[in-house]
Order: sequence, then C-alpha cells, then structure tokens
Amino acid sequence: MKKTIQRRLLTGALVLMTALVTKPAHAVNYQALVDADVKKFQGYFRKEFPDVKFEDYGDGVYALDEDARKQWKEMEEFPPYELDVEAGKALFNKPFANGKSLASCFPNGGAVRGNYPYFDEKRKQVVTLEMAINECRVANGEKPYPGFKGDLAKVSAYMAYISRGQKIDVKVKSAAAYKAYMKGKAFFYGKRGQLNMSCSGCHMEYAGRHLRAEIMSPALGHTTHFPVFRSKWGEIGTLHKRYEGCNDNIGAKPFEEQSEEYRDLEFFQTIMSNGLKFNGPAARK
Amino acid sequence: MKKVLLLLSMVALMPSGAGVLAAPAAAAPGLIEQAEAARKEADALGFEWRDTSKLIKSAKEALDKGQKEESDKLASLALLQSKAAIAQAKSTAKNWKMMIPK
Ligand code: HEC
Repeated sequence: MKKTIQRRLLTGALVLMTALVTKPAHAVNYQALVDADVKKFQGYFRKEFPDVKFEDYGDGVYALDEDARKQWKEMEEFPPYELDVEAGKALFNKPFANGKSLASCFPNGGAVRGNYPYFDEKRKQVVTLEMAINECRVANGEKPYPGFKGDLAKVSAYMAYISRGQKIDVKVKSAAAYKAYMKGKAFFYGKRGQLNMSCSGCHMEYAGRHLRAEIMSPALGHTTHFPVFRSKWGEIGTLHKRYEGCNDNIGAKPFEEQSEEYRDLEFFQTIMSNGLKFNGPAARK
Repeated sequence: MKKVLLLLSMVALMPSGAGVLAAPAAAAPGLIEQAEAARKEADALGFEWRDTSKLIKSAKEALDKGQKEESDKLASLALLQSKAAIAQAKSTAKNWKMMIPK
C-alpha cells in the first residue's frame, strides 16, 4: 500500500517535471487530459457491462435491460415524438416579424446537432443547441422560448431528428474550456441535496439496478438522444428538464434551463459520450 | 455551528416565556432573517436544498397569523437545512474527486 502510494507520487512528480521541462504552462494539452477521463469513464461501463455494445449506450437504460428494451422497441414503432418533430419543423421555418427565421441562423438546413454543445472561446462559455435556438430568436427581435419543454423542445427535436447519426466529438481546447468542463465534472460527481447523492452514485454505481419502478440508466449515452418524449411527462422535454427532475428527486433546488451549471454539466456529460452518435429525439417511460 | 446550536437551544427553551422577557415578535423575525441569510449563502454556493425557501415562506405566513411557535419551528428547520447545505457544499468541493468510481 505504502509502496504504491510512493510509486504514484514518484510517477506524478515525474510527469509533472516532464510537463514543466518540455512545455511552457500555456501549452497544457487539455484535450489529452479530457481524453484520459473519457477513456476511464467509458472503461468503467465496459467493465461493469461487458456484454453491452458501445453503440447501444445511446439507447439509455434499454441497453441494459432486455425486457424493457422489447417494450421500448414497440413504443418506437409509433414514436410519440413524431408530432413534435413536425411542429418543430414548422417553427424552424416560420418567419419572424423581420422576415427571417430560425432557418436563417443555422447552416446545413439545421442539421447541426453534432456541433453542440461547444465551448465558445470568445464568450468563454458553453453554448448548447437550445441556447443557440433562443439566441437566434432574440437576435431577430423575438422573445426566447420558455425553458424545459414546449416550442424549445420541439425545435430541438426537429434539429436532432434531421441530424441523426452525427458523431459526438466535443473538444476542450483552452484553459477556459477546461474550467467549464471541470465545473461540469464536479457537478456530476459531487453529492448534493437532502439525500446527499451524486449523479454518479445513481448513474454509474447503481446503473442497471432498480429504484422503485425504474431501472437506472448508465451515464454513458445520457445526452445522445434528447429531447425526450417521456410518458410520465406526457410531452417532450429538454435535457435540462431531466436534470431538473433528477435534482428535485434528491431534494436539491434545481437550476434554470440553460443555466451555466446545467450547460457545464451537459458539456461534461456529452464529452463522456464522445464517440457515440446523436440519435434524438427519443421515447422514454 | 456552535452559535447556531446555542441559538436553537435558546429558542427551544423560551417559546412560551419569551413574551414576558421581550417583545414577542422580536425573536421570530430574527430567526427567519437568519434562515433567509443562510439560504442565500447556500444558494450562492449552488447547494440550496429543494424545500428551504418553502419552509421560510411558511414560517413567514405562520408569523403573520400569529402562530409564533409554529413559525419558529419552521424557520429553525430552514436554518438547519441551510447550514447543512453550506457544509455539504464545502465538503463536496473538497472531496468530489474521491467520489469518482474506479
Ligand atoms: C437517486 C438517483 C438519481 C440521481 C442522484 C440522479 N438521477 Fe438521473 N435518473 C434517475 C432515474 C430513476 C431516472 C429514470 C430512469 C433512467 O435512468 O433513465 C433518471 C434519468 C436520468 C436521465 C435520462 C436518461 C435517458 O435515457 O433519457 C438523465 C440524462 C439523468 N437522469 C441525468 C442525471 C444527472 C446529470 C444527475 C445529477 C445531477 C442525476 N441524473 C441524478 C435517478 C437519479
């Protein structure tokens, strides 16, 4: 035990020394630090669930439970979000008062899911797809859509739908981006709320296990498929609505849709799913 | 923390007799204000608990209805929750890296 600690300290010191000798401080390779985290994180699930294929993590809890998966496949035959995607398409193309539309803000006909979230180096903050949608509206003199559900989720659903199959490959290129990433990471692993629980407690350590009527989904793949039509909600909602629910469940005061906290959390969670494909919107129980 | 305990025990000991010693309304608003200040501190750390502001609101309403004992009870609970949330924020900030599953 003592020896391993000593060895670790020694390797740590060596790594640090090489870093100091070979690189000036401003050239820290943040992407490499993040990539090492991704490898560890995804490795955790590979070890826990050796039979689950990597690409199936985009299917949430249905990657882990065969029975639930069958029911879900049936549900997806007549996807409950179909009307929302249609409505989102109409909203996306509907002219604003100034004659422009959401379509004027986004390239590729709006099939840009794979570009979000990203760290905006000029504004020094994480930009999510929902944030970009509302910023486009505000820039054109329209009111932002209210959060968590409704039109915001519908437009996001349409854009996700026409982007299906785009690969998740979120980068961390600067100290500022790394800081946002670390904030999201601390949020994910930190215990909070009246129950003193962390996201990782439920969605890593308890992934695949039952909590009352529900089976807990693996955190790997958490952000691939949003927005989600949830039977319990009876409507389509954003990822941040889901965050709100999970915070509320453990007795923590939730944050606002598109708050810095939730954007950083989304940034971290999406990076942990690097290599998977965006496959939203999706249906969930 | 010691101060809070002292305060709580004082409040607990005096609910009925307080009226004789001081203006009855004076103690309760103090407790609500303290709870609110602690709640704000927890909120600024991003660790406020879900029900704290509801407790404070109910404490205010009880006081308005003249139910001082009930108000004190609710405000003390809100204060305890906020103190716990602040402690949680500090311990999480220090320990979250050790929570990463291997
Ligand atoms: C007490 C356990 C618990 C905690 C703590 C918790 N969740 Fe959840 N979460 C659940 C349950 C139960 C569900 C619904 C079943 C499932 O996992 O899909 C869920 C669902 C989700 C989903 C939707 C999964 C999907 O496939 O659509 C996401 C995303 C999520 N949680 C993220 C988080 C994040 C981020 C945190 C930390 C802020 C968190 N959860 C904390 C229990 C928890």
